[in-house]
Amino acid sequence: MPNITLSGVAKSYGGGDYAVKNLDLTVPDGAFMCLLGPSGCGKTTTLRMIAGLEQPTSGTIAVDDRILDSVERGLYVPPEKRGMGLVFQNYALWPHLSVRENVEFGLRMRKVPAPERRAKAEAALRMVHVDAAMDRYPSQLSGGQQQRVALARMLAINPSVLLLDEPLSNLDARLRLEMRAELKRIHEESGATIVFVTHDQLEALTMATDIAVMNEGELQQLAAPMEMYARPANRFVAEFVGSPPMAIIDVVPPGGGRASTGLAASLTRFAESRVGPCAPAAVGVRPEALRLGTPPSGAGWREEAVVEAVLPAGSSWTVRLRVLDTELYAVSYTPVDAAPGDVLDCWTEQMHLFDADGIRIFSLDGAEVRA
Amino acid sequence: MAVATKAETPPSPPPPPPRLRRLVYRLRVLRHEPTAALGLILVVLLAYLVVAPLVAVLSDAFRVQYGDDVHAGQQAGEWTGYYLWRVLRSQISGLLFWEPLLNTLVIAVGTTLFALVIGGGMAWLVTRTNVPGRKWLAGALVVPYMLPSWTFSLAWLSLFKNERAGGQVGFLQAQGIRTPDWLAYGAMPIIITLGLHYYPFVLLLVGNALRRIDVQLEDSARILGAPRRTVVRRIVVPLMLPALSSAVLLVVGRVLGTFGTPYVLGLPADYRVLSTGLFQSIRDRSTGVASVLATVIVIIGVLIVFTDMRLMREHRRFVTVGGKGAMDRLGDLRRWRWPAFALGLLAFGVSVLVPILTLLLSTVTRTPMDLKTFTLDYWFAERLPGAVGFPHGVFRGAEMWEAAWNSLRVVGLASLICAVVGLLVGYVVVRGTAPKVAAFLRQVSFLPYLVPGIAFAAASLSLFAVARGPIPALYGTTFLLILVMAVTHLPYSSRSGIAAMTQLGVEPEEAAQIAGASWWQRMRRIIFPIQKGALVTGVVLPFISGLKELSIVIMLTTTGTQLLTTLSIGLVDYGYTQLANAVVLVIALVSFTMTYLTQRLTKSSLASGIGG
Repeated sequence: MPNITLSGVAKSYGGGDYAVKNLDLTVPDGAFMCLLGPSGCGKTTTLRMIAGLEQPTSGTIAVDDRILDSVERGLYVPPEKRGMGLVFQNYALWPHLSVRENVEFGLRMRKVPAPERRAKAEAALRMVHVDAAMDRYPSQLSGGQQQRVALARMLAINPSVLLLDEPLSNLDARLRLEMRAELKRIHEESGATIVFVTHDQLEALTMATDIAVMNEGELQQLAAPMEMYARPANRFVAEFVGSPPMAIIDVVPPGGGRASTGLAASLTRFAESRVGPCAPAAVGVRPEALRLGTPPSGAGWREEAVVEAVLPAGSSWTVRLRVLDTELYAVSYTPVDAAPGDVLDCWTEQMHLFDADGIRIFSLDGAEVRA
Repeated sequence: MAVATKAETPPSPPPPPPRLRRLVYRLRVLRHEPTAALGLILVVLLAYLVVAPLVAVLSDAFRVQYGDDVHAGQQAGEWTGYYLWRVLRSQISGLLFWEPLLNTLVIAVGTTLFALVIGGGMAWLVTRTNVPGRKWLAGALVVPYMLPSWTFSLAWLSLFKNERAGGQVGFLQAQGIRTPDWLAYGAMPIIITLGLHYYPFVLLLVGNALRRIDVQLEDSARILGAPRRTVVRRIVVPLMLPALSSAVLLVVGRVLGTFGTPYVLGLPADYRVLSTGLFQSIRDRSTGVASVLATVIVIIGVLIVFTDMRLMREHRRFVTVGGKGAMDRLGDLRRWRWPAFALGLLAFGVSVLVPILTLLLSTVTRTPMDLKTFTLDYWFAERLPGAVGFPHGVFRGAEMWEAAWNSLRVVGLASLICAVVGLLVGYVVVRGTAPKVAAFLRQVSFLPYLVPGIAFAAASLSLFAVARGPIPALYGTTFLLILVMAVTHLPYSSRSGIAAMTQLGVEPEEAAQIAGASWWQRMRRIIFPIQKGALVTGVVLPFISGLKELSIVIMLTTTGTQLLTTLSIGLVDYGYTQLANAVVLVIALVSFTMTYLTQRLTKSSLASGIGG
């Protein structure tokens, strides 16, 4: 099973702008890796370079020991010889071929004899539950079915590397939920290495075994989902992963110097009381870590908060608070019985401290200090 | 499991590898990606077939030609202003240039006005009023455009020809009514017959524009208190200006390059226009003069199209594209409904029925239109007394069949080449691996649009009439005919090719690539099958237009390579009016049937192919 390595990969479209800057990334064998980032961060370019549809300006891309691209050594393997599977965002089903012919195409290119081709295509279509629509044309299918056919087309050739370019973004919410589970199942059943591009952090957290967060062509962090959630490498990752986003309060006020009052100062004092002097530049608190009411043992940080708005959302309640003149959001999973203007206690045992470059110094979680 | 790795220092792009390394890598990539090679081939091809002829004709205009060294007082091949002087300032320049130029302008203006009045009026009738049978009228009034443009001039001769030129006289003269020269030949008949051919052009352009005007714009003016007449003057007409100016300029451009009608109706009365003048200079082997004339026609053509594009761009700034407001709301003609219908019927009768019936009758009667002298000899007789060069009916003997076969072969191949090259241009442009190549292809494939066909044919003669390097002289070969015809139709096919490929996008091909298909397999199994429809239209539209084409081929055909159109003109030269008419009827029938079938089968409208 393959191990995809990118080393020193850069991609420029000319004019000094880089879509991907010096990327070093290893996708471990059998991983389900998400390339996560905002649009224009270089994640799709990276995926297309792995597929061979775009060529790097410099660097090397390899699967195991097989070098697919090496600008330095002048090596290149065209996409059709890489043997990977790719699902496009818009599926790119061929309109003039029936569902069955679409799925059989890759096998035909591999000169698989007809009976075997047929059996494999049917198996792939059964796997994604569209075997009933086998003789229809793509234009006669719903969006969800088209998506499944695109998956089946890729699975039929049984590739060891599967690439998916935002394949769920054109589906409605219910189908998306269903397909997430489906993709996870396919990953487990096929044992293939999957690289999945998305801008949806929830998608990444729910499906991936590893997440690579990218921004402006640079890799920000590579980690397992919960690891990334618990220990974001920097402010960008902290704000991008998690919803609603982490609140990050700058310690250094705009005027310079060190504030002794305000929310940031209060949070810093609490952190320093735990670990000694550490001088963070910013402190982040996740909304779901911010609790309302009296802390159980008095161990965490606590402050008085004025309720500004309560936004119920069925299973959770989002509350907008004003704490020491700073706006904060809290998410509660128990009903919040408060009205705007009420004064409550809020507290937390989890916070993340960042230095002046935005790099995380450490995180506090109850009594634990995580580097 | 992967571990958090965050570089301590933010990564900067690595220095690009040495130029040579990058080159080796690029070449490796290109070896698997024939798009770039294809792009280069197309660039060379288009440069040779489109740009080189224009350069050659320009250079011929300023170089002393063989045999002219005595007159010019210079060695053959030297640079000279002699031809320019001869055309513009010499004693015969009035005959060579100024008079034909003036005549061309008169005809252009006259034809345009004629086409505007009829086409504009009919457009308004069929789009904005409740005239009875408007759907039928809208279709029927486009038919003249499906006939070869000089059909009308032959019909005109059949009616009004006098004894001035040889051959059989027209219907009126045969009845003993003398038709004066001004009625039989010259400006007036040319303007009327060309106008009858080109008014559908105006009808389609203006009709489309009228249909697109948002009725809400008119309603707003009405609500603000503007009387109906003011609404038309202040709202509708200004909004129609782009379509009107476009129609005017395009008709002028067409008239500039048209050959058949002024040849048939002008030359017997020594009424010359630029296109016939160019043709005669080529016939007389005055290559230098012909080159100057061709250059002038090219320049005027380019100016016209640029003016049109300029105007369109300026208008586009304030033209609104109607949304759902562009509904059909028809003005009620009340008691004028039936008179209006009669008017439409009259236009149809004059532009379709009368010419066709006249031609038909003339081919089945010995005395023009006298059914008592009914005969099928001109179609089927094995022996036609008195006709020397063509001593039998058109369906007998080899001439017509050979010409038909030539037409089919030449036009068919040219259309096929045109469609495939057009689609490939679209492919290369959309794949966009090399932006400069794409820009070149886009612009150069459009270039023939700027050049009237007859001038482009003259330019091709300059380049291909003599052997140059490894390419032998192509004059008189069907190959040259095919090439020139394909190139002149390239603008439309490359435009539709680009549109079709843009709509398809690159993803279907990339998906096939990922699935393991080689470039050739991708082309064969994905791109061409998906673009089948576009390809068929891309063949059929140039085919129909090419079948009727005369101005482009008239200078390139020889006795061995007659096409139907040139055969018909040749018969006019001999004075075999009935035979010429019969051949034109055959062309008209084929072209009309094909257009009709294409519209039926592909549901495409002629308006989209109106550029042709």
